[in-house]
Amino acid sequence: MIGAMQKATIRNNRVWFFAERTFIYALIAIVLFLTIAPLVWVFSTSFKQNEESISFPPKFLPENATLDNYKFVLTDPGLLHSLMNSFIVSIGSTVLSVTVSALGGYAFARFEFKAKNLIMSVILGLFMIPVVINIIPLYTMLSAAGMLNSSLALILTFQILIIPLNILLLKNYFETIPKDLEESALIDGCSRLGVLRRITMPLSMPGFAIAAVLAFRFSWNEFILPIVLANKPDSMVFQVALYQFISLYRIEWGYLTAGITLAIIPVLILMLAFQKQMIRGLTLGAIRE
Amino acid sequence: MSNILAKAEPYLFLTPAFAILLVFLIFPLFWNIYISFHDVSFITILKNWEYSGWKNFIDLFNDPNFYTSLKITVLFVAGSVASQFALGMLMAVLLSQKVRAAGVFRAIFVIPWTISAVIAAFSFKFILDYNFGILNYILQQIGLQPVGWLTDPNIVIWSLVLANMWYGTPFTMLFITAGLLSINPSIYEAAVIDGATKLRSFLYITLPLLRPFIVINLILITMWSVNFFDLQLVMTGGGPLFASTTASLYMYRQAFEFGLLSKGAAAGLILIIINISVAFVYLKLLRR
Repeated sequence: MIGAMQKATIRNNRVWFFAERTFIYALIAIVLFLTIAPLVWVFSTSFKQNEESISFPPKFLPENATLDNYKFVLTDPGLLHSLMNSFIVSIGSTVLSVTVSALGGYAFARFEFKAKNLIMSVILGLFMIPVVINIIPLYTMLSAAGMLNSSLALILTFQILIIPLNILLLKNYFETIPKDLEESALIDGCSRLGVLRRITMPLSMPGFAIAAVLAFRFSWNEFILPIVLANKPDSMVFQVALYQFISLYRIEWGYLTAGITLAIIPVLILMLAFQKQMIRGLTLGAIRE
Repeated sequence: MSNILAKAEPYLFLTPAFAILLVFLIFPLFWNIYISFHDVSFITILKNWEYSGWKNFIDLFNDPNFYTSLKITVLFVAGSVASQFALGMLMAVLLSQKVRAAGVFRAIFVIPWTISAVIAAFSFKFILDYNFGILNYILQQIGLQPVGWLTDPNIVIWSLVLANMWYGTPFTMLFITAGLLSINPSIYEAAVIDGATKLRSFLYITLPLLRPFIVINLILITMWSVNFFDLQLVMTGGGPLFASTTASLYMYRQAFEFGLLSKGAAAGLILIIINISVAFVYLKLLRR
């Protein structure tokens, strides 16, 4: 009697288990589809001829796959120039932010000083300031300084998106490096800066790598600061050029989707290469956005 | 001498970072207040700015579009926060249920959030296009009328919420996942021994332990939705007319579309107050 009841409960449990698993995987499949469908659609359109990209009914796969859209984007002088600007600004901003944050992070990791906790909480507080609120004052300041529409203006203003996060990241990384190595070099008469450059930095390369990846991602993706501070043909970055592209002409979706795909590629490559660290860093850095 | 130098050294290391933050992040907050009390427009920007008292704020509160933008902000923020939180939470919890290849799914789900908002905006502008968009095509295939996703003033804000949900949900998923991982699994073992069902242990163990994560996550996505306007700017430009102009986009449009920088700055000040109030309300909730 008890045996039969137990069997029934077990069978019941198994039915319940399978129902639950089916439900979970079905939901995951739906969300998976909704996540990638828009991107796949954009990607597929980028290989279509322009008439086909807006044909109605839409074709799910390009009938005569073509690289014309990519050829157009990569040979249009304006777009190509903006793509170069994007790289210059993103790399410049990455180098500057990593240098400055390494110095700051090192101060927190290795020195004891009076205002240490106060400055740390100020930096954490700065995380919370939404950057968009600064666009109007920044515009007037840079306009007065004659720095609007320059790569330098973007490189400098992008720092506020990145520095607080990278100081935290690098401080945490430096703290995992044993102090002894540095101390013997200090006794040998090496300066603090020399120690950071010759000993701590080579040992912290993984930390530097992730700081650089995040800095690049923020700089590459930023749109509001560039559209306000550098929207002239000479100085605009790729994302702004794409935006101008939709407001100037009748939208050529074939070209635009090729541009979108090109804009995604650098970040997607970095994302795939540094997936775990990047997710961790972004979760920390989201406080910034 | 060397003693003084040694004491100053950490500050010297911090100087470059602080100088940049001071000039480009902290000072502008105060400068914004200054601008909002002066007459600054594209015409006067290079001349002397005249003190204008409360005029910009009076203009702001006499502008019906400003009230519209506040109303739209409430819809956009409520829709974004509710949808991102519900779906993000659901996915985080589902993926923690011993799902096979959960890491792979997580990595794919997070893609929208690693690419830029502008890219999300372009993609959705394409998908939601009235004439050529795939969504209207699908609707017509199943016998429904096409919808003016980005052109109908009553619908446009929900299309933006949809795009924002696609773009922003992964963050909540990651944040709640971090919270779930911080819970010691042995607590559940004890609960199972005591005969608790999954649902009960979720409600009475998981949720209370997640509470700080949930509150911080809600603060972040709320403030983020309040300030965020990349999607609106690219997808609709705030239109038709002002139907999708949220408060932050209102600030941008006043300043850079109409050239009224000081009216925009006044709106920016209101935006700061909204941000502080949001943080304050949630922190009260966290303490309770």
